[in-house]
Amino acid sequence: MTSAVLAQDLRKVYPGSSSGSAALEKLTLEVPTGRVYGLIGRNGAGKTTFVRIAATQLEPTSGELTVLGYDVRREERAIRARIACVPQESRPLYFLNVEEVVYLYLKLRGLDPPEARRRTRDALEELSLTEYRRRMVSRLSGGLRRRTLCAMVLASDADVLFLDEPTTGLDPLARREVWEAIRRASREQRTIILTTHYLDEAEALSTRLALVERGRLMLEGSPAELRARVRYPYRVTVQGSYPREELESYGQVSEIEGGYLVFTREAEARDLAKRALERGLRLSMGPVSLEDIFLDVVGKSIEENSVEEAES
Amino acid sequence: MSERNRLRSLFTLVWLNGLIPIRTQPLFLVNLLASPLSFLFFITIVSGGRLLAYGITGGMILTMLSVGTGLQSDLTHYRHDLKFQDIVVASPVEAPVYVAGMALSELVYSLPGLAVFVALFVVKGYATVESLAVLTGTLVLVWGFASALAFTLATYFQDVRETFLFSPLISLVLTVLPPVYYPLSVLPGWAQFVAHFSPTTYAAGLVQGAVGLAPLSFVGAAVDWGVLVGFTAGLFLLAALKARWKEP
Repeated sequence: MTSAVLAQDLRKVYPGSSSGSAALEKLTLEVPTGRVYGLIGRNGAGKTTFVRIAATQLEPTSGELTVLGYDVRREERAIRARIACVPQESRPLYFLNVEEVVYLYLKLRGLDPPEARRRTRDALEELSLTEYRRRMVSRLSGGLRRRTLCAMVLASDADVLFLDEPTTGLDPLARREVWEAIRRASREQRTIILTTHYLDEAEALSTRLALVERGRLMLEGSPAELRARVRYPYRVTVQGSYPREELESYGQVSEIEGGYLVFTREAEARDLAKRALERGLRLSMGPVSLEDIFLDVVGKSIEENSVEEAES
Repeated sequence: MSERNRLRSLFTLVWLNGLIPIRTQPLFLVNLLASPLSFLFFITIVSGGRLLAYGITGGMILTMLSVGTGLQSDLTHYRHDLKFQDIVVASPVEAPVYVAGMALSELVYSLPGLAVFVALFVVKGYATVESLAVLTGTLVLVWGFASALAFTLATYFQDVRETFLFSPLISLVLTVLPPVYYPLSVLPGWAQFVAHFSPTTYAAGLVQGAVGLAPLSFVGAAVDWGVLVGFTAGLFLLAALKARWKEP
């Protein structure tokens, strides 16, 4: 399968920053075409920097990056003809109405007026914005503004869409409408690169995920592959009292309200569940969530960094 | 992008940034009229009407420069506060099309001001084929270099507040200090030398010469045109080489 985005040893140091504080450090990853690719990580992890380089808005310091086989340094024009982007914290022009935001963006990209009109109508309908189409952006809530921007790029003819935190500020229903539109775009063989802080969103939409921390790629793969790669792929919550030493023999234990949370392996999880039930305790058991993986990986990275800083 | 699509993008920007905002705020149409009309009023009153012609020709040049300062603010606001430039960068629209479209859209706001000054120009009997041709050519060049300078600066500003700082300075350096509202000859020798570093000195010299306010030989006019075209080309080159469409 051809890569939509291919990054090799990508490095970015912002002008004025010391070379030791790189926003991206030797980042190598491959985004397959026609899929939703999720980028997750803490604030300042480097997700937006990666998106901005791939969307030809920002120069990389070193390394290679291609979009649909075109080089971001030498073939920007070919890339720009095939991409669309909702930048983080972007807002539509306040003096336009919702329909104008989408329609004029499509015309700006060079679409014929009838085609632009048709795509605008479809996108507004898809994201339940039809009833707001004549409403001025200045009178929209933050969530509706964000949804309008999503409609704008989803209505475009671009093959690769960069959505940098597209659902921030949206209510749960609106988020799901955006998710459905993203899934539909993916079914049309378009590639969507999505950054998000909502891990349920990343998991629900992405066929592959990359966890970035301090500019480095920490984990990459499908949600199932990420789970398989962690030390303890199962989580068991036990409600009630249980000898902690015994729990620690199963894996990593932390106290939660009214009981314990144990990260462990599958066989151990079954054994622990059986013993807890024998003691008459309530429990729940299942694979670790993306949030658990995130906290585990990022937590370790923070600890390692603290040790390194203390040693130096 | 095909030529047809470039034109479509360009006129979409004119529509989007030039015409639609007037629907929500009609005062945009008189905004650019305020400063040049104030100068005209002041100069006419103080000189007892003697320098009215300078107020009219200077007012037209100032109106075109104001297009540049307005453009600078809009481009900075769109880049930082709305991230509109990032949206455009990640699209088939090329930087020259974006700048040309935005510069043309700002021209829409200057039309009422230009209409007032052109009307005064005609009523006062300055309009001849030659003076109108010189005026048109000069104003196009002033609009061109002001837009190129605005784009270059806007890509460096980190906040729209920086434009509030620079716009009055640019007006001061390009309009008030050079002989735009008065003849070059009233300046002392050293100041005349310094004034020649401003492109508006040449623009004003051409317009003032075309309406008979100051003597202008054929050679003098050729030099003024040459320098003004050179300044404009230089600022376009600066924009092409130094403006940050893609951030470093």
